[in-house]
Amino acid sequence: MKKSIGSILILCTIFLFGWVSVHSQEEMEVVDNSVFDQPRRTSSLFMHDDHNESAGIEECHVCHHVYEDGELLEDESSEDSSCSECHEIDASGDMPGLMMAYHLNCKGCHLKEKKGPVLCGECHHK
Amino acid sequence: MHTAYDMLTGPCAWTAFILFFGGCLYRLIKMLWLVWKKERFIFSYMSLRYSLRSLVHWMVPFMAVNWRRQPVLTIATFAFHLCLILTPLFVSAHIILWEEAWQFSWWMLPDGLADAMTMVVIVCAGYFFIRRLVSPEVRYVTGPSDWIILSIVAAPFISGFLAYHQWFAYRFFTMFHIFSGEVMLVAIPFTRLSHMIISPFTRAYMGSEFGKIRHARDW
Amino acid sequence: MGEAAKGETKITDQGLDGGVGRLDESRIREVINTVLKNETGARLKTYVETCIHCGLCSEACHYYLSNDKDPAFSPVGKVKRTLWEMLKRKGKVTPAFIREAAVVAHTECNLCKRCAQYCPFGIDIAYLMSVVRRIVHRLGCTPLYIQDTANSHSVHMNQMWVKGDEWPDTLQWQEEEAQAEIPALRIPLEKEGADIMYSVIAPEPKFQAQLIYQAAVIMDVAGVNWTMPASMGWDNSDMAMFTGDNELMGRLKRTHFETAARLKVKKIIMGECGHAFRSVYDTGNRWLGWRVPPFQIVHAIEFYYDLIKSGRIKIKTKYPHAVTLHDPCNVSRGAGLHDKARFVAKAVAAEFVEMEPNREHNYCCAAGGGAINCGPPYKMKRLQGNKVKAEQLFAAKTRGAGVLIAPCHNCHSGLHDILHHYGIGLDIKFLGDIIYEVMEKPA
Repeated sequence: MKKSIGSILILCTIFLFGWVSVHSQEEMEVVDNSVFDQPRRTSSLFMHDDHNESAGIEECHVCHHVYEDGELLEDESSEDSSCSECHEIDASGDMPGLMMAYHLNCKGCHLKEKKGPVLCGECHHK
Repeated sequence: MHTAYDMLTGPCAWTAFILFFGGCLYRLIKMLWLVWKKERFIFSYMSLRYSLRSLVHWMVPFMAVNWRRQPVLTIATFAFHLCLILTPLFVSAHIILWEEAWQFSWWMLPDGLADAMTMVVIVCAGYFFIRRLVSPEVRYVTGPSDWIILSIVAAPFISGFLAYHQWFAYRFFTMFHIFSGEVMLVAIPFTRLSHMIISPFTRAYMGSEFGKIRHARDW
Repeated sequence: MGEAAKGETKITDQGLDGGVGRLDESRIREVINTVLKNETGARLKTYVETCIHCGLCSEACHYYLSNDKDPAFSPVGKVKRTLWEMLKRKGKVTPAFIREAAVVAHTECNLCKRCAQYCPFGIDIAYLMSVVRRIVHRLGCTPLYIQDTANSHSVHMNQMWVKGDEWPDTLQWQEEEAQAEIPALRIPLEKEGADIMYSVIAPEPKFQAQLIYQAAVIMDVAGVNWTMPASMGWDNSDMAMFTGDNELMGRLKRTHFETAARLKVKKIIMGECGHAFRSVYDTGNRWLGWRVPPFQIVHAIEFYYDLIKSGRIKIKTKYPHAVTLHDPCNVSRGAGLHDKARFVAKAVAAEFVEMEPNREHNYCCAAGGGAINCGPPYKMKRLQGNKVKAEQLFAAKTRGAGVLIAPCHNCHSGLHDILHHYGIGLDIKFLGDIIYEVMEKPA
């Protein structure tokens, strides 16, 4: 009995670590806001695959864009890097700060497509 | 939803801002033009020193005799007006929207403080509401327009408060918040809310008359 | 139509009843709109459009405080009962409304401007009441008694139907009386180039001639180079200012100033009258286009202050009573003379008891602004409308005051009535009465 409890615990631990280590966009539920020092709002709800499925987005670069010298590079994609690798907390030059980048990217598209959340609390649930 | 949001934050917002700033400017110019046309003597009695003397005495809580006579009202009216003006200018959600639209931003209030300030506005508006109901001298001179302008001012703060806390119908209150804020902006120059821009001038004129001609205190 | 004040009984007034009888609604509309369009401007518009209806002016008003805080008597309440309605209805109001507006503007407001000090926006409610008076004047609907004084102004350029010969006659009489005390005393008439023209209000020659006597003694002892005119223009009073008859006010003040100019004097000194001071110093001059009066205008308070301060008048023995001082609106709130008045009162009297509230914040006498001049029909209303003054006076008495100084004719008469009606038991004096009594005179 003790043995079985111990093995369950071990299994759970392995599963947890495994879950975290293999955690990728497939299971993504919120936008990671840990880079923000003291975030004023909750992380935005975002189910990556569900979103893309319902939005009919097949190409990564639609969101994971690449800009060079202020020009959007068509068909170039940056899905291997996280947003904060380019976008710092504060804006630099033409490049928006990280928060603005999220807002402009998500809300901007939602407004353009007339689909998806645009009000603060629709993403940042209390 | 998106179309409505687009309308409210686009053309409606622009209209509100233009009517607010344009309307305020129009009211000021119209007032000065009317003075120039019909009561030009007023200019010759204006005094910067006594205008400021009067304004300072009435803009500092408890500095005027009548403020001291009405301590509760004085605290309420100063807290109300201070929070009413500062909160919308420095609340983070507004600044973020402006930054999204125009790429500029400024210092923002901590959310907790902004929330408290919003509550101050709501509580004070409630106080004014009750005062209008129960205080005979206020009740006597209260008409429909007084209830309307109090509602116009209270609405964006009540809806903003509900929207921030995401209580009840979040979408409705957020959209209503934007709409009622725009209504308030437009109402300022075109209703008696114009005391926001006009009252410093009536105060300054009375201060000048009292200081320069009457050699007496007007507070 | 604005709601009438509670418990108000209609007072018969031939001026109002006769005037209203001649009115019809089209005439009313025409006059209201003409006055509003042609004679008002930014002030009226701005005041009405800025007032937030907060009621903070209420406690400034003695009528409100004295009538159990009946909101109809609050300053803004009175605007509601008059101008708001006229504006809202674009002048389409009934003759009965005009009668009520005349009653409100003439007998429920003294134009003391205390409310202007209590309004956070500095809205000049007294000015709004003056506009109402102007409208009812143009409609020929002014209380009978005050209209009669205005008629006297129009005929004789004085308030009390004093005829041309009666004036120098009275001066001569007082000169002779005073010569019994100071044989060389003169009341110099028509002395061109004198330093000072001394002007008074018509009630002085009419029934308070001893005030002229006292002034002559003070002038004589102080060695002042003064004169009084023998012609019209000697009277500085101005009920036309209060009836809204601005044209007549202009005639009066022009005559007064031109008389001073003809006599080539340096300044005009006036007796202890508040409304006349307002007219000469602040209102009439503006109607004539003078930003400030064309002559230096010195109220008796200031004149006495200068004489005592410079030692030209010396006090033999101080007046042996505790005095309290009523600050008249027109010289305190109107010219800041309250501290000079205190200096004089303290210089002449053994003890000074302060009234609360005082200076600019003093309660009105309820007689000024033409209210007492609306005559006997409104006397009880005036007295009941100033209970708060009686309480204030009584409080001063309980703190030891025995004599009330009221350096203004209207205040003096109004307070005299209040003292008697409420049985307060204070004596009432002008500053000049006491100075005359206690000053050093040639043996």
